[in-house]
Amino acid sequence: MHNVWLIAKREYLERVRTKAFMISTLLIPLLMVGGIVGSIVLGHKTKPTSHIAVVSPDQQLALDLQAELENGKESRMKVDVISPGNSETRKTLDDMLADKQLDGYLWITPAASPSERPSFSYTPQSAADRVNRDAIRIALRNVIMRERLAHQGMVASDVDALMEPVKVDTTQAGKIADTTSSLVAVAVLFMLMYMVILLYGMNVARSIIEEKTSRVFEVLLATIRPEEMMAGKVIGVGSVGLTQVAVWLLTGAILTSGSVMGALAGGNVHVTLSATQIIFFVIYFLLGYLLYSSIAAALGAMVNSEQELQQLNMLLVMPLAGCFFATAPVMTNPSGPLARILSLFPFCTPLIMYLRISLSTPAVWEIALSIVLMIATIYAVLWVASRIYRVGILMYGKRPSLPEILRWLKYS
Amino acid sequence: MPIVELQQVRKAYDTKVAVEDLSFSIEPGSMFGLLGPNGSGKTSSIRMMIGITVPDSGSVRLFGQPFDRKNLKRVGYLPEERGLYKKMPVIDQLSFLGQLHGLDAATATKRAYLWCERLDITEAIHKKTEELSKGMQQKIQFIATLLHDPELIIMDEPFSGLDPVNATLLQDTLVDLRQQGRTILFSTHRMDQVEKLCDAICLIHRGHLVLSGSMREIKSRYPANRVQIVFSGDPSFLNHPSIESVKNYNGIAEIKLHDGADAQALLAEAVRKARITRFEVMEPTLEEIFIEKVTAEMTEDVTGDRINA
Repeated sequence: MHNVWLIAKREYLERVRTKAFMISTLLIPLLMVGGIVGSIVLGHKTKPTSHIAVVSPDQQLALDLQAELENGKESRMKVDVISPGNSETRKTLDDMLADKQLDGYLWITPAASPSERPSFSYTPQSAADRVNRDAIRIALRNVIMRERLAHQGMVASDVDALMEPVKVDTTQAGKIADTTSSLVAVAVLFMLMYMVILLYGMNVARSIIEEKTSRVFEVLLATIRPEEMMAGKVIGVGSVGLTQVAVWLLTGAILTSGSVMGALAGGNVHVTLSATQIIFFVIYFLLGYLLYSSIAAALGAMVNSEQELQQLNMLLVMPLAGCFFATAPVMTNPSGPLARILSLFPFCTPLIMYLRISLSTPAVWEIALSIVLMIATIYAVLWVASRIYRVGILMYGKRPSLPEILRWLKYS
Repeated sequence: MPIVELQQVRKAYDTKVAVEDLSFSIEPGSMFGLLGPNGSGKTSSIRMMIGITVPDSGSVRLFGQPFDRKNLKRVGYLPEERGLYKKMPVIDQLSFLGQLHGLDAATATKRAYLWCERLDITEAIHKKTEELSKGMQQKIQFIATLLHDPELIIMDEPFSGLDPVNATLLQDTLVDLRQQGRTILFSTHRMDQVEKLCDAICLIHRGHLVLSGSMREIKSRYPANRVQIVFSGDPSFLNHPSIESVKNYNGIAEIKLHDGADAQALLAEAVRKARITRFEVMEPTLEEIFIEKVTAEMTEDVTGDRINA
């Protein structure tokens, strides 16, 4: 164990001390903060600020529209009112459009009878101008509605109250629906595992290849077993990933718990997790991470260069992705035979067993067995990896074929 | 009790036989040379001694016991292909490797400083390995092998790629260590190095043992029938009947005499014909012995009574 610890410590310290690690560890939280601040700033600035002209024989309507577009909730436009327009107006406006003095103009033709709506035509400077068109459409509807309501004898304050947007409280809904919260937790577990495995699992493979190209392994193998070396690498490089993710998650937690996010996120999803769920989350995340890192170690043991590793990249994430698709049938029947079998299949255990634990209560022996099976698999994968490694390094040169690898397992 | 003992060791990779029926033993406190041309099975034999690979058949004993990984802490191994962590400072690297061999961090660091001083690379101690010259990296690897004060030192081609100054420095260090009672095994394909350094040798070719024993004993098996003459003037004395074969390198003649021929007669003849500045009678060099042995074996192969895999 002492050797495993030494190897792990070396890997960890060497990686954590690099500039690349420090930069990426700090940069991601900075980006998170930046993203949040940016979205707040942008959120206030997306109101259109274009300059348009409104041509209308009905001056009151044009002025109301001007007020709505210039100071309304949805826009901060600059609006020129031309009322009424004459035969020259359209030509002047077209010229102004061509000169880019205007972003567009709205031409209002009064209705034939008072009960009908006037007709509107908007001529934008560019055909892609959807923002202004939408803003104008909303403003027009508000103005006309307000005018009609006032016409029916409604007081201005009543009109405003009526036109307030409706608020739906979604937080209440989140608390009752237990399935939603477990689903979210499983999705988070999946995303976390997928991301961490993709980002860091390959680092394990890479560090093993590195040792092969630098030929350090031969000195190491003169005192320690390949199994110890593999285990040390998986733990050492793995902890680097965990450190980084922990820093990120912590920043994320601090940011989301702040009032900033609360104010921003309209549809807050409340994930209520019990203490047991959190404990199992951590257990299955760590075991899953270890298992997939061990596979990465085996892949690293098989190949001689980073290019060859790229081709095997998919092998690492495919089983995990497959499990995610299996979550749907498991969810509908968390205690059914499919769910029970899959949850004991080590490559699926982290996701499926966790899902079962949060949805129903699987037997204790099932949970215990799933954990034992995972640990056994990790051990077996590392053993196979170290076999491949030991033989592989002694005959480097080309990537081994599957039958060759099987033959290698028999060598000692 | 021999420190290393190989008995009828065989190792094959797929269809290629790397080592076949190899037996030899190394006495404690000796300097042992494992010789052979490139690809003859030297590295394969060494790897089996330290458990990187396991022989297909036969046995390896270290320190008088059957192979046991625990004993590896008493062995220092310098592999042929040198490898160090490129981005790691020298002192951290040495300390790490020392700790892997069972030292505690403080002792490992202290010894690393002493060794760096001894091999004159103190200025490199805080640099990263990749910033160092190849020769310096070799020295660091050399130190890493010796840091835990091993009883048995195994070095695979320790002097390859070193300039003469550094090669001599490392040679002298090894001689010192032998005098302190350490056992040293090194492999090389340069046989001239071995003659003055080694107490005993083992010569292998294509995985087979060709020759083994103490240096003195091997040499005594061969008659002193080589003569080197440095001369100027008439070379016609080189046709003397006592000469079996001769190579004349422009005034330096290397001569092999017929069995039982007397070198004195040749000297007398030479003195009459030319001016002699040097005349030396010696045993064949290891290289000559090796070539002779291997050629004999090849002829056997050709006659068809033995097939080498």
